[in-house]
Amino acid sequence: MIKQDLNVLEERSIYVIREAKMKFKNIAALWSMGKDSTTMLALARKAFLGKVPFPVIHIDNSIDFPETYKFRQDLAKEWNLDLIVAQSEIKPDLVGSACCGKNKPETLKKVMEEHGFDALIVSIRRDEHGIRAKERYMSPRDEEFRWNYKDQPAELWDDYSSKMDKKGHIRVHPLLDWNEIDIWSYVKQENIPVNPLYFSRNGHRYRSLGCTHCTVPLRSEAKTVDDIINELETTTGEERSGRSMDKEREYVMQRLRSLGYM
Amino acid sequence: MIVKTIALLGHKDHGKSTLIGSMLMQTGSATQVRINEAKAYSEKLRKPFEPAFILDSFSEEREQGMTYDTTRAQIKYKDLAFSFIDVPGHEELIKNMISGASYGEVAVLLVSAKGDEGIRDQTKRHLFIARMLGIDRLVVAVNKMDSMGYEEGSFNSIRDSLGKFISRIGFEERDVRFVPISAYNGENLVKKSGKMAWYGGSTLIDSIYGIFADASGAGSGSALRIVVQGAIDSEGNIIAGKVISGRLTEGDKVDILPNGHNAKVKEIIVKGRRVNSAGIGENAAITLDSKAGFGLRGAVISGIDDRPRVVDSVTARIFVTGVIGKKLHVKFNGIDMGCRSVDVIDGIDTTTGEKMQRKTPEVLNAIDARVEFDRKLPVEEYRATKELGRFVLYSDDVFAGICTITKV
Repeated sequence: MIKQDLNVLEERSIYVIREAKMKFKNIAALWSMGKDSTTMLALARKAFLGKVPFPVIHIDNSIDFPETYKFRQDLAKEWNLDLIVAQSEIKPDLVGSACCGKNKPETLKKVMEEHGFDALIVSIRRDEHGIRAKERYMSPRDEEFRWNYKDQPAELWDDYSSKMDKKGHIRVHPLLDWNEIDIWSYVKQENIPVNPLYFSRNGHRYRSLGCTHCTVPLRSEAKTVDDIINELETTTGEERSGRSMDKEREYVMQRLRSLGYM
Repeated sequence: MIVKTIALLGHKDHGKSTLIGSMLMQTGSATQVRINEAKAYSEKLRKPFEPAFILDSFSEEREQGMTYDTTRAQIKYKDLAFSFIDVPGHEELIKNMISGASYGEVAVLLVSAKGDEGIRDQTKRHLFIARMLGIDRLVVAVNKMDSMGYEEGSFNSIRDSLGKFISRIGFEERDVRFVPISAYNGENLVKKSGKMAWYGGSTLIDSIYGIFADASGAGSGSALRIVVQGAIDSEGNIIAGKVISGRLTEGDKVDILPNGHNAKVKEIIVKGRRVNSAGIGENAAITLDSKAGFGLRGAVISGIDDRPRVVDSVTARIFVTGVIGKKLHVKFNGIDMGCRSVDVIDGIDTTTGEKMQRKTPEVLNAIDARVEFDRKLPVEEYRATKELGRFVLYSDDVFAGICTITKV
């Protein structure tokens, strides 16, 4: 995995986060308490003199790990976050991608509508998935949260899209350029707090975190951030291999994203 | 590791995505999971293995065998990392091609040597756009050499006829290299091909490496230019700005344009830390000794002796991507403003680089035009300061052209 220049990545992300905040009237960010969205918040604090200048939303289906809830509580307090917990309901008849494709976007729609958010920061990265690699830094979604990937707006020269349907919103992706190993190198450099589930216990760790129903840990002895960086330098496995919904059928990510999945 | 970005150019089906897919495999840069997934899908479509599927991830892209939108893939080589920007070759998808190519530092152009393919209009149009975007170094990969029996003649004829067009649109001979390859068979990409003994030059990846190593590194100028994104605090005392050229130092006297407000720099913060000065590429938070006032977004901070001109009309070269109608607006460094008129001076055929008889804007061709904005702005010629010399034109909210300022 290629380790990129953190300075370059940092500057671009700060630029995109500032641009989003200044371009839109009412912006929020998704915070899953994972390494990526937490890194994004650390960058937002750098961009805005120590304070995250927008609300952060956790779509909570009540089946996240206990460590994740503890982490949410501690960091929200330490960083003085304006936290919105949007409660979603797990329907027993929906499993795997059907659950992710319906539950979370439905709840997100509700909370976006309630607060009137016109833009949403989502901490996806190109190297996670071929479909995510097709995203723009800023990308419109319609009222139904659909992604019109066949006709994306032009994006060049720091001119990002601001066009949207009356009831749609813009997705903002400030971490698009980062690789998984860059996130961990930055976590180390900046001493960013991370969920303890990422570290090995009894020979296993979580490399990508979802909820308890659909996430499985991988074999790993990485107990520290340094261990994780070393592991990533030689690994040949995929980051999201512990996320069961990615594997069900072909193009599940394409369908999920086109339907509004984060 | 320093990442260099490379834009792929070329007509559809001349092998851009296949090339990147093959290079990812030959350099061990794609995970086995992704390669297997691409293999399985090729089988499902009853096609021979298609390396392009490692990049083309949309179902429509695979089923129709064409790239819809731009994406990127990284390869480590020697002390550098290359980020290859794949773009669609189809002319209807030119906005996606421009979106991708605009991030390229150098370009790799694919031209198929195959009998009925060769140099096409879109081949030359992509080169024209790359030149407009400021790309000045180029590797031309003459692809599908396998279909021509790896013969020298087919390579030479493409090199000779394309070479003339390349220099006509402003590339210097020393900044352009030609390499014969077969992207699908992996010939001459990373390892020297045994099938083209007549070719004495470097492999494709070494040619790309060489073009970065030989760069003179002209870089940006020394005049202070900061593009302002807006105010960070609600009072408007702290300004967010990206340093485009020069250096901003505490205590400097500066001008804020277009208003011409004078101020002294009290404090500079970069990435959360107070610093004495900020340099190129840094996003600073700047406190001045007096309020800069309204309309900060898109303003430019410069030194008081060396300011960009503040004007409301410029001469620009425009690559036309959509019909230029009556209701025009432009986007210029975060400012979204009206555009009074676009008066054509000359029409330019982007497949020859020469002036046309017709003086009307045509989609996929270019114009030189006098453009009038609805307000005054600090601007410079594109060749002097890229960030202050470029804008995007919209007509009835549709992407209508990319514009570079040729004369202020």
